[in-house]
Amino acid sequence: MSATGEPAPMRHAEPVMGTVVSFAVHPGTAAPDTVRRAIADACGWLHHADRVFSTWDADSPMSRLRRGELGLADVPGEIPDVLRLCEIARERSGGWFDPWRMPGGVDPTGLVKGWAVQRAATILRRSGAQAVMVNGGGDVATVGKPGDGRPWRVGIQHPWRADALACVVEPARCVATSGAYQRGLHLTDPHTGTAACRVASATVTGPSLALADALATGLAVAGEEGLGNVAGLPGYGAYVICPDGREVSTPGFRFAAQPVPAR
Amino acid sequence: MRRGPLVLGATAVGLVGVLGFRSHNTSAPISSATPSTSRTTSPSSGTSRVTGAAAGGNAATGKATSAGTTGSGVSSTTSPPPAAAPSTTTAPSLLSATGKTEQYGYGEIAVKVTVSGTRITGTSVPVIQTAEQYSQQLAAQVIPMLRGQVLSVQGSRIDGVSGATYTSEAYAMSVQSALDKLHFK
Repeated sequence: MSATGEPAPMRHAEPVMGTVVSFAVHPGTAAPDTVRRAIADACGWLHHADRVFSTWDADSPMSRLRRGELGLADVPGEIPDVLRLCEIARERSGGWFDPWRMPGGVDPTGLVKGWAVQRAATILRRSGAQAVMVNGGGDVATVGKPGDGRPWRVGIQHPWRADALACVVEPARCVATSGAYQRGLHLTDPHTGTAACRVASATVTGPSLALADALATGLAVAGEEGLGNVAGLPGYGAYVICPDGREVSTPGFRFAAQPVPAR
Repeated sequence: MRRGPLVLGATAVGLVGVLGFRSHNTSAPISSATPSTSRTTSPSSGTSRVTGAAAGGNAATGKATSAGTTGSGVSSTTSPPPAAAPSTTTAPSLLSATGKTEQYGYGEIAVKVTVSGTRITGTSVPVIQTAEQYSQQLAAQVIPMLRGQVLSVQGSRIDGVSGATYTSEAYAMSVQSALDKLHFK
C-alpha cells in the first residue's frame, strides 16, 4: 500500500520480442488468480506474435513472406491483418512510415510491437482488471485508470541524459517512442531509401498503440516537419526532441503538470 | 529468446517493476532535462508552444554519474547510502554481484548490481564490448538509460517509461543473474 492509499499493482516482466515486456495490473475487484492467468495468456500471445512476425528468425512466416516463399494466403491471418493496419498507418503518417519501402521486402516491424502490446493489454482488461499498463520495451499501452481516477503518468526517456526523463506525459491511452538510440537503428527514409533519423527522440500518444508506434517511427525519420501531420489526427499527440536539443510538441500531447506533485 | 515466463520475476522488482514505485521521499522526481534544452514552438503549422521545462533534480535513490563509453567499458556508479555501522544486524548491508556476460547482438555486456536490503542502490557496467563505433555510440546513450530504469525510477511518481530500446534484454538478463547471486527477492 502506498502513501496515497493506492494498492501496489501486480507486476510481471517477460523477455519476448527482443526486449522485455512489463505488466502492471491493478486488479480492482478481479481475483488475483484470474489476473495471473490473464498475464500468462498475454505472454503466450506475445510469444505467438513474435514467432509469426520476427524478421530476425529466418523461418518465421513473416520472413518467408518477405522472401516470396509464401503468399499472403499461406501465412497466419495476423499478417494480412497487420499489413492492412500498415496501409492505414502509411496514409496517416503522410508516407513517412512505409513498410513497403524497406530494404529486403515488406517489413511491418515498426508497427507490430505496438500492435501486439496493445492486444496483450486487451487480454488483461478482459480478465476484469480495473487498470492495465503493458510496456513493451518503451511502447506503452494502458487501459482503465490506476486509482482514484488519476491519469497514468509515463516518463519519456531523455535521449542523452543519464537517469533522466525529458518530460512526463499523461496519455489517455498509449505512448510510443522512437529514437536515434533505438536498437540496431536502421530507420529508412521511404522517400530516398537511405538510412535517416532526424530526431533524438520522437514520441506519439494516441488511442491505438499500433498506429502510435508506426507514427513515432515515421516521425523519427521525418523529423520536426512530421509534427504537423500527427497534429491533424484526432486523439493523437506528438513530442519531438530535435538533434540540437529543442523540444517541440503538438497541442494534443498532454504533459503532466511539472514537477509531478509529491503527495 | 525462449525463456520461461518467470525468468525475470525478480527483475520485475529490479528493472521494470520499480516503475511506479512510490517512495516516501518528498524530493523532486527524476524528471529532468539538460539545461541547454528548451521546449519551443514548432515552425510548422499545427503545433503549440509549450513552456515549462521538465523539473530538475536527481533521483531520490542517489546520484548517478555517467561517463562516455570506450571499448573498455561504461563506468557509472551511484553514491551508496551512508555507510551503516558494520556488523549491526538491523542496518541493511550493501551487497554487490556482477551478472553473467550477455550477448546483445552487437557485442556483449555484464552488469554489476549493488543492493541494500530490498532496494537496488547501484548498477555499473564493468564489461561492454561493441562490434564497431556505431554500436559504441548507441551503448553510450542507452546504458545510462537502462541504469536509469533500474535506479532512478524507484523514487519517481510515474507508472512507466517510454523510450527506444536497444540492449535492454541483455542488460536485464545480466541484472537478473546478478540479483540471483545475491538471492535478491
